[in-house]
Amino acid sequence: MLEIKNLKKEYSGRIVVDIEHLIINAGETVGIIGNNGAGKTTLFRMLLDLIRPDGGVILSKGDVIVSNDQWKNYTASYLDEGFLINYLTAEEYFIFIGSLQQLGAREVFDYLKSYEEFFNGEILSKGKYIRDFSTGNQNKIGIVAALMQKPELLILDEPFANLDPTTQIRLKEHLKTFKMRHLTTLISSHDLNHITEVCERIILFEKGRVIKDIQTNVDTLKELEAYFSLQ
Amino acid sequence: MYTAFFKHQWMGFWRSRGKGGVIAVQLVMGFVVLYLVCFSILVGYNMESIIKEVFPGKDVLMVFNGMILYYFAIDFLVRLQLQELPTLAIVPYLHLNITKNKLISFLNLSALFSIFNIIPVLVFFPFAVLKMSTDYGLFSFIMYLLTILSLVIFNNYAALYFKRLSIENLKMALIGFLFLCTIGALEYFKVFSIASLSNTVFLAIILHPLIALFFVFMATSIFAVNTRYLRSHLYLEELKSAAEQKTSTDYPFLDRFGEAGVLLALEIKLILRNKRPRSTALKCLLFLFYGILFYKQEVLDANQFWILLFPAVFMTGNLTMIYGQLMFGWQSAEFDGLLANKINMKAFFKAKFLLFTISSTILTVIVSLYGLMSWKILLVQFAAYFYNIGISSVIVLYFATISYKAVDLSRGSIMNMQGATLSRMLLSFPMLLSPYIIYFPLSLIFNPFIALLGLTIFGLTGLLTQGFWIKLLIKEFNKRKYKIATGFREK
Repeated sequence: MLEIKNLKKEYSGRIVVDIEHLIINAGETVGIIGNNGAGKTTLFRMLLDLIRPDGGVILSKGDVIVSNDQWKNYTASYLDEGFLINYLTAEEYFIFIGSLQQLGAREVFDYLKSYEEFFNGEILSKGKYIRDFSTGNQNKIGIVAALMQKPELLILDEPFANLDPTTQIRLKEHLKTFKMRHLTTLISSHDLNHITEVCERIILFEKGRVIKDIQTNVDTLKELEAYFSLQ
Repeated sequence: MYTAFFKHQWMGFWRSRGKGGVIAVQLVMGFVVLYLVCFSILVGYNMESIIKEVFPGKDVLMVFNGMILYYFAIDFLVRLQLQELPTLAIVPYLHLNITKNKLISFLNLSALFSIFNIIPVLVFFPFAVLKMSTDYGLFSFIMYLLTILSLVIFNNYAALYFKRLSIENLKMALIGFLFLCTIGALEYFKVFSIASLSNTVFLAIILHPLIALFFVFMATSIFAVNTRYLRSHLYLEELKSAAEQKTSTDYPFLDRFGEAGVLLALEIKLILRNKRPRSTALKCLLFLFYGILFYKQEVLDANQFWILLFPAVFMTGNLTMIYGQLMFGWQSAEFDGLLANKINMKAFFKAKFLLFTISSTILTVIVSLYGLMSWKILLVQFAAYFYNIGISSVIVLYFATISYKAVDLSRGSIMNMQGATLSRMLLSFPMLLSPYIIYFPLSLIFNPFIALLGLTIFGLTGLLTQGFWIKLLIKEFNKRKYKIATGFREK
């Protein structure tokens, strides 16, 4: 699905991302972890062509993402509030995102019905602009808008942050079902419990480099905890 | 404690982000303030001769007295629009061990540092000192000054109080404007005159100085009211404006434009639902009065269209120019999302062109009223219109691809230079001057009418080749999109 070769990014002489070779296979649920400054968000932004790499290439389904927009047809993402349009109501935002995928307003609302439980009555018909929602609820809007695009590749940056416990559990259950639907998912998180529970493969970054790349097993959580407590 | 507050304010000002780029703008603002101050001193000092010049044969003191209340009435309305509420500055201190009284006094104190409080003192005091200190006795003179000072204080806190009561000040501005018109009309039809009221009041103060205490009382009362209001509303949520129920809307008439229509609807919502773009758009309507200054009968008779061309281009394209100046900075907050989503760049630019075309069309229809003066004005304005939608829009969007400054939509637009850079301010020049590159040669070789025709054809050519320009703009945009996105992330 994704192939990264010799990818490099520096900010004023400090290496932020430096990946020699990394392949993400179709249908994998991959967790990206690492302390602050490990380069997770920078990597995600480069995957979405928001930041120009200093060197190397990213191939999505074999196409270089910088030179054509083909990848946008099957990729959905939510990194931060910068992905939301804060002067729209939640409904308007969903309809806007839907229209980019050729979904009519009715299809969008039908789809949103299946997320009523996830929204917990906090999102729809609240008569508020997105900028007036709490960060947690903004996250919910962004995540659901990404899922609504029926992507083959999904990229979420710290989706569990700011969510209430109930929503965290629901999101986890939801993410687990993706494996069956053969959806490729990239998630970053600081919560080791969540990430080991959801992801079948975990990539650990330190200062932009891949330190560990492991298939999740019963010992993974302990292994990661050992790594982070020594930092 | 207060020194610490003011020190923080000072540091906040100098350390504000993106300050480096706007230091030139700060300088310009500084000069404007300095200019106003010097101008006020000059006016104040020469008040007597100015009055004699403008109202020959009238009693100087009477005219002066008549002016004072007028000044403060207008001053009040201007303050409602321009004076800033110094509330949010105290948010970081609310939870600390600082008494409410201290915070409130800080707010009240910092509210006094305003150009609005300096100008009237500079304008009115010199005359009073020169003219009255000797003629009417010391006590009268002191009470006279005290009255003016009280009015300054009264206006200062009354404006803040009313602004706090209704943060949505658009309606207030309209009411105030109507109020002013009514008073003007009353004055005109000699029903009621502020000038004579003002004159009576101030004459009375000169004769019976103790009346001035009434104004002192007024000023102290509004200060007290303001303070009490602040004390009972010193909560985070109440310092901000009240929330009203927001509804979803769509614009079905834009559907025919496909994806570009969707993006245009988005931008229209951006303009209507955010403070800064909304007031920018309203400002454009104000510029429609520009024609009154430039459209002169003798110019029309002599077919000197080049004098008319400048206001015509500006009036029919001012939204393109003023709103377009900060393009794409308006969308800086959601720019990452726009890039990462499946948005067709062609539609993205097409939407911008549509916005400019629609706004120019509306503005042109409105300014067609000037056509009542002469049909020649219509010719000039239509030439300007086609030039704007064909050529100006391309220039504006080209400049948009080389500007990297984010714009905060939640702040007002007046005196707000955030996001302004030199390149953006210079942008108006090619837009306003380039029509003359076409106009002058044609006008010299043939005649002014052919020159207007040439301009129209030039504009239409731009419009017909829009597809080409869009491709070019996309190419330029793609070259610099990372830089733009990075700039927008640094708010």
